[in-house]
Parts: sequence; structure tokens; C-alpha cells
Amino acid sequence: MTDKNAYENIDPVTLGVIAGSFNSIAKEMALVLYRMAYSSIIRESEDLGAGLFDVDGNEICESDSTPMHIGSLPGYIDGVRHFLGDNINDGDIILHNNPYYGASHTPDLAIIIPIFYDGELVAFAANTGHVLDAGGMSPGLMVDVVDVYAEGKHYNAIKLYNKGEKNEEIWRHIFENVRTPKENKGDVEAMIASAKLGKRRYLELIERYGLQTVLAAQKRWMDYSEEMIRKEISKIPDGEYKAPTGWLDDDGRNYGERLRIETSVKINGSDLIVDLTGSSDQVETAYNVPFSGSTLPATYTIVRAILLDEAVSEVFIPQNSGIFKPIKVEAPLGSMWNPKAPAACTARINQVQRLADQINLALSEVLPDKTTAGNAAHVHFNSYAGIKEDSGDYWVYIEVNEGSYGGRYGKDGLDSVDNLVANTRNNPIEELEMRLPMRCNRYELREEGASAGKWRGGIGIVRTWEFITDSLFTGEGDRHTDPPRGVYGGQDGLTGSMTLNPNTDAEQNLHAKLTNFKIRKGDVLEIRTPCAGGYGNPHERDPQDVLEDVLDDFTSKEKAEEIYKVVIRDDLTIDEKATKQLREGSKVLNS
Amino acid sequence: MIRLGVDVGGTFTDLILLNEESDQSWIHKVPSTPSDPSEAVINGVTEICEMAGIKPFEIDQFFHGTTVATNIVLEHNGAEVGLITTEGFRDILHIARHKRPFNFSLYQDLPWQKYPLVRRRNRLVVPERISAAGEILTPLDEEATRQQVRKLKEANVSAIAVCFLYSFKNPQHENRVKEIIQEEFPEAYLSISNEILPQYREYERFSTVALNAFIGPKTSRYINRLEDVLKKMGIKTSINLMQSNGGIATAQVAAEKPISLLLSGPVAGLIGGIKAAKNANFDNIITLDIGGTSADIGVAPNGEMRMRHLLDTRIGQYNAMVPMVDIDTIGAGGGSIAYVDEGGIFRVGPQSAGADPGPACYNRGGTVPTSTDANVLLGRIHPESRLAGSMQIKPELSEKAFDEHIASKLNMTALEAAAGALKIMTHNMVNAIEMNSVRKGYDPRDFTLVAAGGAGPLFACDIAMELNIPNVVVPPYPGITAAAGLLSTDIAYEKVHTLWGSLTNPDISSIRDVIEKLEQDSLKTLKEDGLSDEQIVLQRVCDCRYAGQGYELRVDAPKGEINEAWVKEVIERFHQVHEREYASQFPDQEVVAINVRVIGIGLVQSDKEQSFVDQGKPNFSVSSYPSYPVYFWVQDKLQKQDTRFINREDIPVGTNILGPAVIQQKDSTTLLPPDCTASFDEYGNIVIDMTEALSVKNSKDLIASITK
Repeated sequence: MTDKNAYENIDPVTLGVIAGSFNSIAKEMALVLYRMAYSSIIRESEDLGAGLFDVDGNEICESDSTPMHIGSLPGYIDGVRHFLGDNINDGDIILHNNPYYGASHTPDLAIIIPIFYDGELVAFAANTGHVLDAGGMSPGLMVDVVDVYAEGKHYNAIKLYNKGEKNEEIWRHIFENVRTPKENKGDVEAMIASAKLGKRRYLELIERYGLQTVLAAQKRWMDYSEEMIRKEISKIPDGEYKAPTGWLDDDGRNYGERLRIETSVKINGSDLIVDLTGSSDQVETAYNVPFSGSTLPATYTIVRAILLDEAVSEVFIPQNSGIFKPIKVEAPLGSMWNPKAPAACTARINQVQRLADQINLALSEVLPDKTTAGNAAHVHFNSYAGIKEDSGDYWVYIEVNEGSYGGRYGKDGLDSVDNLVANTRNNPIEELEMRLPMRCNRYELREEGASAGKWRGGIGIVRTWEFITDSLFTGEGDRHTDPPRGVYGGQDGLTGSMTLNPNTDAEQNLHAKLTNFKIRKGDVLEIRTPCAGGYGNPHERDPQDVLEDVLDDFTSKEKAEEIYKVVIRDDLTIDEKATKQLREGSKVLNS
Repeated sequence: MIRLGVDVGGTFTDLILLNEESDQSWIHKVPSTPSDPSEAVINGVTEICEMAGIKPFEIDQFFHGTTVATNIVLEHNGAEVGLITTEGFRDILHIARHKRPFNFSLYQDLPWQKYPLVRRRNRLVVPERISAAGEILTPLDEEATRQQVRKLKEANVSAIAVCFLYSFKNPQHENRVKEIIQEEFPEAYLSISNEILPQYREYERFSTVALNAFIGPKTSRYINRLEDVLKKMGIKTSINLMQSNGGIATAQVAAEKPISLLLSGPVAGLIGGIKAAKNANFDNIITLDIGGTSADIGVAPNGEMRMRHLLDTRIGQYNAMVPMVDIDTIGAGGGSIAYVDEGGIFRVGPQSAGADPGPACYNRGGTVPTSTDANVLLGRIHPESRLAGSMQIKPELSEKAFDEHIASKLNMTALEAAAGALKIMTHNMVNAIEMNSVRKGYDPRDFTLVAAGGAGPLFACDIAMELNIPNVVVPPYPGITAAAGLLSTDIAYEKVHTLWGSLTNPDISSIRDVIEKLEQDSLKTLKEDGLSDEQIVLQRVCDCRYAGQGYELRVDAPKGEINEAWVKEVIERFHQVHEREYASQFPDQEVVAINVRVIGIGLVQSDKEQSFVDQGKPNFSVSSYPSYPVYFWVQDKLQKQDTRFINREDIPVGTNILGPAVIQQKDSTTLLPPDCTASFDEYGNIVIDMTEALSVKNSKDLIASITK
């Protein structure tokens, strides 16, 4: 508990010094985790998070890995408290992943280590990582599953170590019941090493500065972050800001039945409430979103990104629970954003990406220079699996396909990059092909180019895989029907697609969501990710920028004339006069 | 033998000349000339030769450290580059690792997209494909290649990078493209991926090779021009350039692979620091070089530089997968600005007042408080005790700046604010040193801190105190440590090849073949540099990981025949390295060697030690120097003590001085807190013994913990 006296009297110098330590501890925890880890989804993609938490589960500091992860850990700690109550002891190492008790989703395992000082629980060091397989109905990912039990094994605050003693039987049980035991075990070892490190560093801080000073500093920094975000919320006029209705493709079983998203953002002084009432009810597949583990962290992430943009703000404002406090989410129990157990809910990344984009679009009207045009706001989250002929072991590869950002006030959108609440890394092709029976034939920007705007939208990618053996494929994707939205007169973006054997007689257009789809040896799979929307009227784009786009094949000469009203001669120079005429003519037409 | 070291920095070009016969050395500093750095080099060389009374042709060895390559990257003014790559993969450089720099930001830029090394219009593809096993899946379309090369020629690129997938497994296609370019467009500067970096991970390789092309034309022009003008001056020897791996390269090798020059400056500084500490008989060394805007930190256990993890090697925002010495740079220097942010938090840096307008006390228009102003307020830099030729300072301006910007906002005095600002800076540096020492398994209590740069010796003892470091060494000329470092470096080339072979179930003959080939290549390069067999040393390194992991660790591999015992030894060493790095090892797991490396070293340094000319006054006495009040931290409290301000060059070798004292010299100021003892050794170093001060501090800590 924070001592009032210590809180009021902490000197500004010590405060600054301790903040530096928090920051580097979280970074160091993440570094150990991904450098040591075994599964590529953790070590290459960095689909992980790590940090320190106070006794109530408030986040003290977090690593700059994947934002979804770490914002969810307070919920995991609540879940651990639910199962263990006060039965938390020095030397315990706790494994947890139940999405109805705080987890982000079933495959995101958390390791939580309580930190004791002088016999008293003072904090937690914790991290999460996405494991390749959680022992569910199919290897890797899945969408069309019957309930949460089919998604994988749940470890409800299981103690891998109890007061320092390893529970060998539980270790055996856990790793004998997944398809990738070696990778999962390596990952869990790395997670333990990382959390132990967090514990050690936190205790060193206490030794150096005293418990009360450290507690006071962490409280003060949470208050600081809260104050900074409240300041920004207060600048927005009170009222309700609504995004256009968004549509998800379907739930992965009832193809063609679109799912509605209603989003409004209410500002009341320095409080911000996201109201999702009116969105789709929960669905019968795993295409639901765990409320505390996913809906909330996604909301926190996008609100912070809009209001306290790290690249724009002059000072470093730490991400901690202070950021979360002024932000509330209303989503009725039983809706897609807040499902009732035992509904399955492992496939949720596309929905939370869209949620972030909806919040961005809702605020577009009132914050035109802090928001973007519609983003790709999806992930073609794919898993590929098979059984190795020689050993009989499973191989599983989970792929995060990137998106693109919408045009921005004064800036074009970002191309081919993980967006919004995801921020992973791709896997080197030269690594994948050495390990997996797959071959990449193409990995480039989509040739259709950018969506037009005064500031153009970002461009998605096209990737094709050729399969060297029969493989099992699961696609957890979306955005094949509802394109990213242009704003302020910018063009809408392009939807994504997946095609089997493109440009052949056997060409087959695939749904975005498939569970255990069989791909045969020699088949080729083409993935196209959405191109984001444009910002502002294309007629206002600087003709020079349009020419540069033509030179770089971000757009074509024909589109330059038709959409941007910029006439480019055959020698690739701008015909200023014709351009002026064309642009003025269209102004007259519009008025 | 007469040897010259010339280090070109952003503001100054530093020189050191050593005449081994007469046992004398000279140092000199001239302003750098950024538009054509060779001008400053010529000026400096001319002047230092005059000072030493020699003619340029008498110089036997010329060592050069330069930021030319680094600045091209930071200022993004390199060559227009063309890229020829595998069809289907035009945008590897544009997609990068698809991870954005900031988590929480919609308005960030992606540097590789906003400032591309190769613009998309110049990234051209050709049909060809090599498989992961090195087999040709699609043969190279030579006619298409020829057309693309012509296109690039028409587009007026001056450099071409050639990057195909898996060229490290099979370089045939890249090599053929090289021939075609040489036929069609012989003027183009070439950067071929299997020559520059035959190593897996396509984005990092492509980026490195493109970066090499980007800096290539300008850097090689600079080197050639410099050689020309030096020749005209009468210098007979060729120049040797400092590389990021801590070794030097001949001008020819450097011009072909300028990418290896990127960290040149800070590395020479680290080497100079190591040299000073070794002279003073210390082995485990931490160097801290604090300049105007930033501080460089290097850790050298047993006096050996550590190499950075190969995925952390970047310059500016670009990946460059080349061996670099592990040096950490943080934004803390003499010009770092102290301020209170919107939320009431006291911060220092990374913003800097730079040289212009500079600290408030310089009275050149700067009004915000800086680290230098804080040192002025604490009396550590004194207006009445400045050396001739140094900047006039006005303490009242420092006070005003701290009053207005910090003290009034945080309800403290200007003095407290200044002390606080220095404490925050000190802790930022302590944190950075811990990240690079304690957290990599090295205990700072076993290390010696070498303080360099203009401001390093002002902070060194406070930092040593925090980290319980028992000794601090201040080299004779802290401001030119990098130039001095150039004179203690050998030629070193590192050659690498991706092996991707199990060590647990090894194919010994293939490991042997790869290493032997690398060793032969290394010998060839070194012999072309004119080195004899006795001067050549070859070292082996394996980048290993447990099968299934994604990141390698560098493991020094033994010499001698490559057989089962050799492989076992590598495995054993890998377990130990893993233990040190991650505090765990998995002895039952399979170990894989991803890359093998051979470092070819050409020994060019003479064994002769640099000596120092004692200019100390025969009747030196501390009490003859003026004394002013200076504030020190004593048991975590600020305490004022009368302190002597002594000129360093007056102090004879062998003298011991008990703190408090301030020791001044032209390019630096050393702060000696109470209970610390400085002794002046025969190499001109100040060696500060912190043990007494530490025992006072630690006994207080002990009492505090008992009475808690």
C-alpha cells in the first residue's frame, strides 16, 4: 500500500531515476523472452508482452512489444486472484490462460511471479506469449469450434512451482497434451526466465531506494500518465461521436452473414466511454472477443495512440494503468465484445483491429489532425501445419500478415506494416523455407496501388505460398467485403482476398475464415491484405506528389488523370496547363 | 617509426603524432570542415608536422577514423542507388520486418519508407530463383537482366546493389549479374550481396547491401581524394581506416566495403580508453566518453571489446548486419537541457543546447539550463579559474536559467535544481552502464571506469560511486581518446558464411570446408595488404543457437584441427555463453551453428609503449593553487567544501592528491570528490582510487540497514 507521506514527499529527482529503471526493466524482460524463446510467433514475431504490476494488478511498466498483450495482464492477475485468493506464496510460478478469467485468448499463456519483500506480497512480475499450439481441436489457429473447451487446455492459475518447488507431474501433463511440446516448453522456460528477471530487478530497486519510495514512485507515475491523458480527453468537446456502422464478413461458419459493429465515443469532461451497444450478439464460433483480455486493451491502445502519440509528444509518457483509468467500455454481456462462457473466443484479432479503427473513425470529425482515414484494421492470421515425415512430430507455423494505415492529415498512410493494436515482426523467408515445406513465390506491395486522397492510403501486400507437401491450413481473417473507409473526400480502400491456385483452371476464391482446410502438395495460396483509405480530396494532392507516385508505381498514369486530375506526359513530366484546366473544370462540376 | 592518428569528428579533427625514436608525442586539434573533411585533415597534418619538426614524408604509418560514412547515412545524402532483385520480391526493403518503431502512434513515419535507400522506381526485378537448398529453381534471365541494367543506367543511378534470395547458398546468379553490369554499365559502383554479406535473413542482408551502395560512391571518393592530397603533401605511406569491428582496414578494402566504417569514431574512443586503462594495469574496463550532446559507453571484460548482437546492429534507422563493437550511446552530454514537463516531471535531455546557442552561462543567447550550467552552479566549473583561451562564463545566467525553468516550478532552490539535474543525468548513465554490464553478467565492482570526452571526467567519480567501481582512470588527453585509440589498433577483417549445420550431429567435413575457405580468403586479403605470415593471426567464431531458437549468440571457437573434439568444445562454450547472456542453459538440447566467421588479424602495431613527457613543476604544491567552494554529494547530502583548482600539466608524475580537488586541462575538467585519491602515473593517466570513499558510503548504508 502506498504510504501517503512517502507519496507526497518523494523528491522529483528520485522519481525520475526510478522511472528510468521501470522502463529498462520491462524492456529487458521482453528481450530475454524473445531472444530465448522457441516458437517463431514469439521469437521472430514478438507476439508477447512483459512488465511489472502492483499487488492490485495495476500495470507499473510494460515492454514495447505487442500492445495487446501487456494491457491484458491486469486481467490475468485478477483471474489468478479469483482462483488462488490469498494462496499466493514466495517462490510460486503461476501459469494462466483462461479467457473468462482475464486472458487475452487461450493460446496467450501468462507466467506470473509474485514478488515478496520482508514476507509481504509487494508486486508481480509477469509476461504473456502466444504459443504455437494450446492443445485444442486443431493445430495452430481455429475459428469454427464448438466452445471454449475445444480451443485448448486451460491452466487456471496453475502453479508450475509451488513455494519454489517444481511440480514435475503438472509439467509433464501440460507438455504431453500439446502438439508442439518442445517449442511450448522452450517458450515457457523463456517466460519464466524473463519474469524471474523482473522480480530480481524490482527487489534491487527496493533494496536501493526503500519499499515506500518505490511504491510512491510507481503510484506517482500512474497518476502522471492518467493526468496526461485526461488533459487530452478534456480538450475534446463533450458529446457523443459516432462511427459509421462497420461490418465484419461473417463468423467463419455462417458464411455471408455479416456481423454489425456499432461504435460511439462519449466524452464527458476528462472521461472517455466507448459504447458498443447495437453491435452483433455473440456468435456460435470462436469469433468472439474476451472482454477484459481483448476488448479493453484494444480500446486503451487506440485511445492512447490517438491522444498521446509517442512519435509526436515531446516527452516520454509511460504506458501504465494510469492510461486505462479514464477509459471505459460499454458492451452488453452476451454480445460479440463481451461473450458469455462457454462461448469460444480464441479468434478475436480481426474484431479488435476493427474496434480500434471504428474508434479512430468516430473521432475523425472532432480530431481531424490526430486520426487517420480507415485502416486495413485486420490481420490475415494464418496457421499452416503438418506432420514431419521423418520424426512424426507436428510442424506448425503461425503467420501474421500485415496491414496498412489510412491517409493522415498532412501525411500519406503507411504501407505494408502491422497496424493498430498489432505490432509483430514478419519471419524471414530465408528462415521459413529452411524449416518448413513451403516456398514463397511473391512478397510485394499490391500492384493495384494506393487509394487516392489528398494524402493517399497505405498499400497492402500480396504474398503467395507454394506447398511442398499436403498441409492443414486455418485462416483467421476478415475484410473481404467491407473496405477501409476514405475520409474527407478520400477514396475507400481495397478489400483483402485469399485465392487458391490463382490464374489457373483450378482457381478458387477462399473465405477469410477457414478451419482445417486441406491444402494439397503443389497448391499455391495467394493472400492479399487490404489497402487503407485516402484522406481528403484527391484533386487537392500536390501534382508533384502524384508524379512521384506514378514513377514509383504507387499509382498509374491513367489514375493520375482520372482520379487526381493530374495530366502526365509520356516523358513522365507534369503537363501543368492541362492539369490546371482539368482541376478547375472538375471544381466547377462539383460546385 | 613515426605514427600518426587522425580522427575526424563532427566539430573537431583530432590528431596525435608519435615519434618512437625520440619517445615524444604531440597532440593537436583543428576545426573540422564538414563540406570537405579532407581539408581539416590536411591542415591538421601540416600543423602537427610543424609542431613535431618533421616532414610529412617521414610519417611511417597513417591511421584514420572518419564519420564520413556515418554522416551520409544520418543526413541521407548518399548515392542514387538501383537494386536488382529476384522477381516477386521488389519490396523487401519497403516492407522491412513490418514492425513499426512506436506502438502508440498513428502519425509516426517509417524511415525505410519515408527515406528509402533505393527508391521503388529503381528497384527492378529479374526472373531467377535459388532454393533454400541452393539449387536453381528458375534460371537467371540474362536478357531481362541486361534490359534492367540499361534502365538503371538511363535513370542515372551511380550505384547498383544486387540482392537475390539465397545467394549465400549459391552465388552463381548474382555473380553473373555482376558481369553483365560490368559490361553494360562499368562506371556503376557495385554492391553484391554474396560479396558484402553472405548471410541469411533477406531484409537485413538487402538493407546492408543497399546501404553499402548508398554510401559507397561518396565514401570511396573521399578515401581516394584523401590519398591523393596526402600523396601530394609528400606522405608516402597509405592510409589505414578504423572499422566498426574495432580493427583497421586498408584504403582499398574500405573503399570496396565502406559499410564496415560506420561506427568508426566511437570504437576508436573505446580502444583508446582500453589502452589507457591497460597502461595503468587494469584489465576489466568500462569506458565512458561524454561529449556535448551524447555519451558513449563501452564495456570490455579482460580488455576485449564485445561485439553487438547481429540483429541490433543498425545505423540511424537502417539495419546494417555487419560486425560492430558493442557501444551504447545515450543522449546525455554537457549541453543536455534540464526541464520540467507538462505533468510536473523533472527531466534532463536528450535534447541538447548544442554548441549554439550552448549553455546559458556562455551568454550566447541560450536561456535554458543545461548540464554545464549545473556544473557551474555547483562550483565545479569556476569563472575565475578558467584556463587561458577557454570560454568566458557567467554563473548568474546559469542561476537565472535554473531559477526560471526548474526551481520556481518545483519549489526548490536553483542550487538544489542544479544538483538534481546532475543526479538525474548521472543515473541515466548509471542505468546505461548497468544495462551493458550487470545485466550481461559482468559485475562493475570488478571493473575500472575510464573517463573520456570533455565532460566524462566531471561525472566519472559520481558514477563510480553509484556502481561501486573501485578505480577511475582519466587518460592524459581525455578529449582526444579516439585519435589515441587509432594508434593501438591492428588490421582486422571479419568474413562470414551461413552454415546452418547441427553441431550435435555434425557434418564435420562441411564445417571444415567452410572454415578453411574463409581462412584462405582471409589470408589472401591480408597478404594483398602486404602482411607477412608472422603478422597474421586467424580467429574463428561460430554463431550458435539451440535448434528451434531464433537468435544466435557469438561463440569463440578454438584453433586447431576441426574434428569431433573441436565441435564438442564449441558446444560447451555455447552453453556457457547462453548461461551468461540469459542465466540458463539446456545441455540436453541440440546446438546448431548458423553462421561461421573467421577474423583475420594483421598485426601492425609495434610493441613499443607510448610514453608521456612529464612537464610537472618541480616545486609543485597543491596549496599554491586557488581554492573555491564546490558542492559534492556526501552521504546523499549536498555539502559545500573548499576545493583547490589545479592545472593538470603542472602535476609531476608520481604525485598523489586527496580530494576534494578540481583538476583542469585544456580539453577537460576532472572532479575529484572528498575521500578519493588521485595518483599520476608514468603514462600521464590520472588513476583515482575510490575505495576509501566507497567504504565510507557503504558503512553508512550498513548502519542505515541495521537501524531501519
